[in-house]
Amino acid sequence: MSTSFDGDFQSIMIRSALNRIFGMLVVMALVVTIVFVIVRVTPGDPAAVMLGPDATAADIASLRQRLGLDASIPEQFVSYVGGVLRGDFGQSIFLNMPVTSALMQRAEPTFFLTIFSLAIATLIALPVGVLSAYWRGSVFDQAATALAMFAASIPSFWLGLIFMQVFAVQLGWFDTSGYGGPGASFGERMHHLVLPAVTLGLISSALITRFTRASMLDVLNDDYVRTARSKGMSEWRVVVKHALKNALIPILTVIGLTAALLVSGAIVTETVFGLPGVGSLIVSAVLRRDYPLIQGALLVVAGLYVLVNFIIDMLYLVVDPRVRY
Amino acid sequence: MKYFALALATSLVALSSANGLAFAQTAGGIVDVATIGEPPTLDPMASTADLVGIVTQHMFETLYTFDAKWGTTPLLAADMPTISEDGLIYTIPLRTGIKFHDDSVMTSADVVASLERWMKIATRGKQAAEVITDITATDDATVTITLSKPYAPLLPLLAFNNAAAIIIPAANTTQDPLESFVGTGPYKLQERVPDQYIQLVRFDGYQSLGGEIDGYGGARNQYLDEIRFVPVPDPNTRIGAAMAGQYDYVDQLPVESFQQISDGATEPVVLAPFGWPVFMMNTQEGVASDIRVRKAIQAALAPEDMMLAAFGSEDFFTVDGAWYPESYVWHTDVGTEAYKPLGDTETAKALLAEAGYDGSKPLRILTSRQYEFHYKMALVAQAYLEAAGFKVQLDVVEWATLTTNRADSALWDIYITHSPFLPEPSLMGIMSDTSPGWWVSDAKHAVLDAFNAETDPAKRAELFVDVQKVIYDEVPGYKVGNFNALAAQNPALEGVTPAPWPYFWNAYLTE
Repeated sequence: MSTSFDGDFQSIMIRSALNRIFGMLVVMALVVTIVFVIVRVTPGDPAAVMLGPDATAADIASLRQRLGLDASIPEQFVSYVGGVLRGDFGQSIFLNMPVTSALMQRAEPTFFLTIFSLAIATLIALPVGVLSAYWRGSVFDQAATALAMFAASIPSFWLGLIFMQVFAVQLGWFDTSGYGGPGASFGERMHHLVLPAVTLGLISSALITRFTRASMLDVLNDDYVRTARSKGMSEWRVVVKHALKNALIPILTVIGLTAALLVSGAIVTETVFGLPGVGSLIVSAVLRRDYPLIQGALLVVAGLYVLVNFIIDMLYLVVDPRVRY
Repeated sequence: MKYFALALATSLVALSSANGLAFAQTAGGIVDVATIGEPPTLDPMASTADLVGIVTQHMFETLYTFDAKWGTTPLLAADMPTISEDGLIYTIPLRTGIKFHDDSVMTSADVVASLERWMKIATRGKQAAEVITDITATDDATVTITLSKPYAPLLPLLAFNNAAAIIIPAANTTQDPLESFVGTGPYKLQERVPDQYIQLVRFDGYQSLGGEIDGYGGARNQYLDEIRFVPVPDPNTRIGAAMAGQYDYVDQLPVESFQQISDGATEPVVLAPFGWPVFMMNTQEGVASDIRVRKAIQAALAPEDMMLAAFGSEDFFTVDGAWYPESYVWHTDVGTEAYKPLGDTETAKALLAEAGYDGSKPLRILTSRQYEFHYKMALVAQAYLEAAGFKVQLDVVEWATLTTNRADSALWDIYITHSPFLPEPSLMGIMSDTSPGWWVSDAKHAVLDAFNAETDPAKRAELFVDVQKVIYDEVPGYKVGNFNALAAQNPALEGVTPAPWPYFWNAYLTE
């Protein structure tokens, strides 16, 4: 009996996964096309930026030709898509290195910034959200709700500058910007991530807190929670072992989406703190009109979104076998 | 005024240190320099961007450079050139035994190959190539440049540090883009991690010119072990970094942060004057192609209010119609009568009526908020121009778009830009017939040809008077005033002379 069920479940999983992968491919194809078109129709020219303010029109035209930017947009698109299909995202115009290498170089600060921010957000949001729901309507709940609203409405650059002023300028505990000089140890590099991670983590905690509270409120009134209480189970066990466990599904979803959002949310924070991550790479690539780098970086960010969504969808299948795609 | 006094004191201290009055120079130490961003390239031939020049002038050198009075002075050349009587042949003696960072020795063959590359790929090299007919290695230590007509800007062009005529090993001159960053400078490239740092280390084989320090010329001492350029693109972060004392030198701070910097861990350094903001006019197409309209614009604008809005305090700007300030040999007030600090709305109205301007076509001002003072000046200009009868359209775009759109004469009537005071007037974009604005006229060519053909510096200064007069007569651009630049410096860092393109040879740490 159980063998048949396992077999059915596996085939459902495979069919659902294939459906989702097909959808992912369609989304990525759209992303490739839309990003390429937007980048090309936006005014601005990498050749003009590279040559500087006193460059002549002839110099700019000459460099455009050398960079292959004088070809028609359809020709450039075909060439670009061909490269992407071969795993070649092209060459960064300004960094003079393959786009994949540039992205790999910048992955470390963004990866750890995302992890630390998510950890801070989760460590704040889960207990606060659970307690808010448990003590619904209390002073604690109202204060937590107000603070969450406040955190959600603060621009990250502003909070970053405030932290910088207090903890870097006034107290001198951290550097204002950068990611360590030549030979900086792993610990030194991570030290540079503290202020940006706290900035992003605090802001991200607002959303997770709200979701945790709402999700917990739903389950705390369910029959099985009342049953657990009537069996004489301690409140701690009721809330954490039964209620929170069941409330976790939507919370996990929002944590996953927050992780994906943090990658793009890091754009502003990395710029403010001068971190050489993927976010600041995107900003500088846009300002310089480094077409291959913009396209490659946005493709990676979009890919991360799609991948996170795929993983969440697959987790739904595991958690709730009734789900079908 | 107190800011100005403090700034002056700071500048004087720095100047006195740089001129050898300080005697506590100690070798060693690392200096971190916060810059406004990552340079688009480390090939100084390939870009006219100031940031490229600031970083690479430590790695590469030119035959000539600029002294403290902005005259040309030898660097890799052994002496000033011998110029033939007809002004067509420049014979340049080279210093011998100069080593590149790869330990090879510089010869005339390297110089010829480098200058040929410069004429082929550098914006300023192409400008020089229009009059250079031949570059020959006369012997191992002499190079001869032959011109088709006398051309006085040649030496300033050879001396300038962006789109620069750097000397590199002949074997590397075929690289485009440059991949081997081998120069003769006092510091060599150790490592570049884009958007994180550019690490330069002392080049032990460097041979300083010796003698007194004289602006960019004279002795280049290598007191520091390392110079690290760190991009900090956000101006607010640069202010915070300066206040916290994280960097030894923080470049290009907003002048309004002067007081904050003064209260922090680093000292403010003011370069006064630094440069000019300019409203470039489209003389080729559109509303401003009519010279009467351009004169109306010139009359309508009120530079005092524009500069005040842009820079906040008179400590950071001067209202000055002369294209060059008094500290330059090119300074003259002749021809500046049309420059009215508070504007002349009535004259502007009369000129507009004469031009038959009916307001059916807006005057399009192309600007950006990349430099906030551009935008602030544009807002004030808009008010004054509208008071004179113009219909004004502000086109505010980001900088990359502006650099593209300004190349299309159909898209704008005025665009706003700025520049440090350039040591040689011929380097100004307005002097080129092909730079955006496309100013071409018989009067321009007459005065400019005479100015460029004259090689005697004193006579050239006299001839610049005519150049300035024609600029005011034909209004291809409107110089708004002189503005100062603000940087911040670690009090322990000495020997840095305030300069538009700051340099750190001769700099040393006292702690």
